[in-house]
Amino acid sequence: MKELYNTNEAADEAVISLEGVAFGYDPEHPILHDITLSVARGQWVSIVGPNGCGKSTLVKLLNALLPKSAGEIIISGQRLEEDTIGSIREGIGMVFQNPDNQFIGATVEEDILFGLEGQCLTYEEMDVRLKQYTEKLGISGLLSKHPGELSGGQKQRVAIASILAMKPGIVIFDEASSMLDEGSRNELLHILQGLRNEGYTILMITHDADEILASDRVLVLHGGSVAADLKPEELFLDQELLAKCHLREPYPWQLARELRRLGIETDVPASEKELIETLWPYNYSK
Amino acid sequence: MNERLLLGRSIETGSWVHKLDARSKITGMLLYLAIILISHSWAAMGLLAVFSVTVMLSTRIPLKYFIKSAKPLRFLMLFIFIVQILSVKEGEAWLTFGSFSLYEGGLRLGAFSVIRMLFLVTFTSLLTFTTTPGKLNQGLEGMLSPFKRLGLKPDRLTMMIGLALRFIPTILDESQIILKAQASRGADLKELPLKEKGRMLVSLLVPVITSAFRRAQDLVYSMEARGFRMDAPRTRYHRLRWGTADTLFVIMFIIMGVAVAVL
Ligand SMILES: Nc1ncnc2c1ncn2[C@@H]1O[C@H](COP(=O)(O)OP(=O)(O)OP(=O)(O)O)[C@@H](O)[C@H]1O
Ligand SMILES: [Mg+2]
Repeated sequence: MKELYNTNEAADEAVISLEGVAFGYDPEHPILHDITLSVARGQWVSIVGPNGCGKSTLVKLLNALLPKSAGEIIISGQRLEEDTIGSIREGIGMVFQNPDNQFIGATVEEDILFGLEGQCLTYEEMDVRLKQYTEKLGISGLLSKHPGELSGGQKQRVAIASILAMKPGIVIFDEASSMLDEGSRNELLHILQGLRNEGYTILMITHDADEILASDRVLVLHGGSVAADLKPEELFLDQELLAKCHLREPYPWQLARELRRLGIETDVPASEKELIETLWPYNYSK
Repeated sequence: MNERLLLGRSIETGSWVHKLDARSKITGMLLYLAIILISHSWAAMGLLAVFSVTVMLSTRIPLKYFIKSAKPLRFLMLFIFIVQILSVKEGEAWLTFGSFSLYEGGLRLGAFSVIRMLFLVTFTSLLTFTTTPGKLNQGLEGMLSPFKRLGLKPDRLTMMIGLALRFIPTILDESQIILKAQASRGADLKELPLKEKGRMLVSLLVPVITSAFRRAQDLVYSMEARGFRMDAPRTRYHRLRWGTADTLFVIMFIIMGVAVAVL
């Protein structure tokens, strides 16, 4: 089993902390109320919940893209206020849901450079990062392409590269892999595991079981507040909660549950491979 | 490649023109515009043609792309040609059909207008073909920077141009999709009476504008999330660098201008 919390020295220090935060696009009808949560440095947190429950809205409050109507937000020890917005934004990278609308440059290269130029990096530093992150995301061949010439998945890769190249300490992904194919999704998971090892804090809004399982912790957003805060394994054992979030457990888990119903006890499998190993003996005992 | 896709797109071949500073290319284009306007003889036109085609070929971009960029204007050019032939009655009459005569002057002026237009469009696409929008913007910003003292903000202007160039193709795409969606529901714009056509256009515009606003909002989020602040200092990855080649490029146009003026 993977380790649940990172053990580097800064562990347990909260980098994101919300206290009684509320927000509504229409002040009369708040869609988020009394959100209280805290995320430790280096933690990888999945945020789940049904469509329209306010996940995207919640993360936009963290870097003040939307103004909270109540409560307190503290990011890396800084209280979110008018004059800390700039430095807080610097520490948070955000990959948005729609890859079309977050493409700022007229070409892939310009898009990645947009954030780096704003950070006032030197030419040499920008050059290194441009190469490093386009290679990491497999888009080095697309540098001079216009967004209109890219597929949805390629645009998502560009968006991810643009954000990671800025090296924020906290990265937030809003369904950033919705258009990626199976292989690219696995690549992204690998990249994220690498980031976690480097000490990045990751928030990931997702509906994907594998992504949830790869994370350390799950926050369930429902009815405008945090309905549950638990480990991914616990989420997938809670049928009621799963139904609430419109989620389905991964296939090996479904199978294990059915087997348990038939009286065959298996450990909760982490992967298909583990499940096969559990089932193998039954093949012989028949 | 689709014609619409050519709007503001650069085509990378790594030729000497690609490597020039955007400022020299913009200056060259402005001079070229002046040269076109002062060409008044067949000899000047001929020289201009040889010059233009040579420069276009030297970019190593296939000529067909340049020709394609003039395609949307073909009917306008034909129209201007016909108007000139019908209205200008100078020089000797070459052919006469009943009351209509074809004059040498009309033919010449018509041809000149068409050639000028053709050169103008194909040759200015050389600027966008050989320069990425970012470099073009940066060049423009560099050329406008003396106006900073007058209170003008060239970086804001070029940021706006850049975003517009980035979004126009997307919005056109979207209009196409909405148009098709409406057609698939049985509304064929071409077959409708005028009044209905107007109503259809409004019902096309509303979703296009709403979604353009949503895009703009999302784009602002994206820019702010990447730390963008208006008028904040930025460094540049591509630096403007005026070299000998740039000076020669501009001199080339000046020589052409003198030659055309003499001819
Ligand atoms: N700009 C806006 N103006 C007004 N209402 C909005 C706006 N954006 C979102 N909403 C509303 O706020 C609610 C929460 O939206 P949000 O995008 O945060 O949901 P979400 O959890 O991210 O959903 P999804 O899983 O579909 O991405 C929705 O009911 C939505 O209709
Ligand atoms: Mg969302």
